Amino acid sequence: MNESPNQTMKELWQHQPVEGIPMSLEKIRKRAAKFEKKIMWRNVREYAGGAIAAALFASFFVKSHGVFFKVACAMMIAGLAYMACQLHRRASARSMPTDLGTANSLQFHRSELERQRDFISHIWRWYLGPLIPGMVVFTLASALADSSAHGLVRQAIADGIMAFSVIFVWRLNVRAARCLQRSIDELYAAESAVE
Amino acid sequence: MPDVRSTQDELYEEAAATYAAALERLARAYEANPDARRDLLQEIHVGLWRSFEGFDRRCSLRTWMYRVAHNIGTSHVIRQRRGSAQALVGLDELENFPDANSGQEMADRSQALSRLMGLIQRLKPLDRHVILSYLEGLDAASIGEITGLSAGNVATKIHRIKAILTRRFQGGHDDE
Repeated sequence: MNESPNQTMKELWQHQPVEGIPMSLEKIRKRAAKFEKKIMWRNVREYAGGAIAAALFASFFVKSHGVFFKVACAMMIAGLAYMACQLHRRASARSMPTDLGTANSLQFHRSELERQRDFISHIWRWYLGPLIPGMVVFTLASALADSSAHGLVRQAIADGIMAFSVIFVWRLNVRAARCLQRSIDELYAAESAVE
Repeated sequence: MPDVRSTQDELYEEAAATYAAALERLARAYEANPDARRDLLQEIHVGLWRSFEGFDRRCSLRTWMYRVAHNIGTSHVIRQRRGSAQALVGLDELENFPDANSGQEMADRSQALSRLMGLIQRLKPLDRHVILSYLEGLDAASIGEITGLSAGNVATKIHRIKAILTRRFQGGHDDE
């Protein structure tokens, strides 16, 4: 091989065999419609989980006789509704971005990472946070309903597990947001580098 | 006033006819699995067709096409990264990576191509855009327009790419 390796690699790259997969306009339109449907069902699945949980709390609200339990159920339903609204506003699976052709690679990559970082950083405020008041009232209602030592220990263990899970998820999110921020900073540095 | 839909269709057909092979090569550089790659290629074509609804001719068709394709590739890499343990590297890090096959002559073209593909798939999206654009034969100005990097930065990256390719694919003799 006497040519320069860079020239050879370019030729090798450009002349590699390709499958030549045909893409007619009709196929593209069908695929675009299928993609929209997929997005819609993904969103429906996300909300279905919240709707099922809300239905369970509603049934508990009807069956329960304790005022505190009713208040807790109502707060959980309100929290879930708030969460669903925020999920729709901030994080619902979206159709293709509109800036695919207008944004250069740097801008597009950075905006995608920033979107993810904001989603993770604020998840606490709108995803887990709205459910916490309801959970606290549930804990109080349970303690009032069964104030025996055995009942309180059981409740304390359940609360401990819940608190540990929430803190664990929060720590994971903080770490993920930091990683994303590092990548975003790298892209800013690449953009400003003139070299 | 021209029909938006027919203009969109015409632009897509022109881009797809001219750059079909380039798009397939690009999809290959973003996804190693053949089935997932076909899906990605279809996603790129759909994205391209849709994007032409807002094509304002402020850049060339080629620049637009590469931006759309690379941006969809980037989204794909970001999605894949969530479930992957292997870290992506930049060109500067890749320069210092040991390669067991370094210095071997490229007797077997398919083997060389597969090594090149492996190398590209380890790169971070931005550096992947630069090396792919370089291999596609684009000049530094076009690469800058697609990536948003300054001319100086593109030149530095191309210099690194050349050094990496030279070292890994031809016995360590620099051709520059």
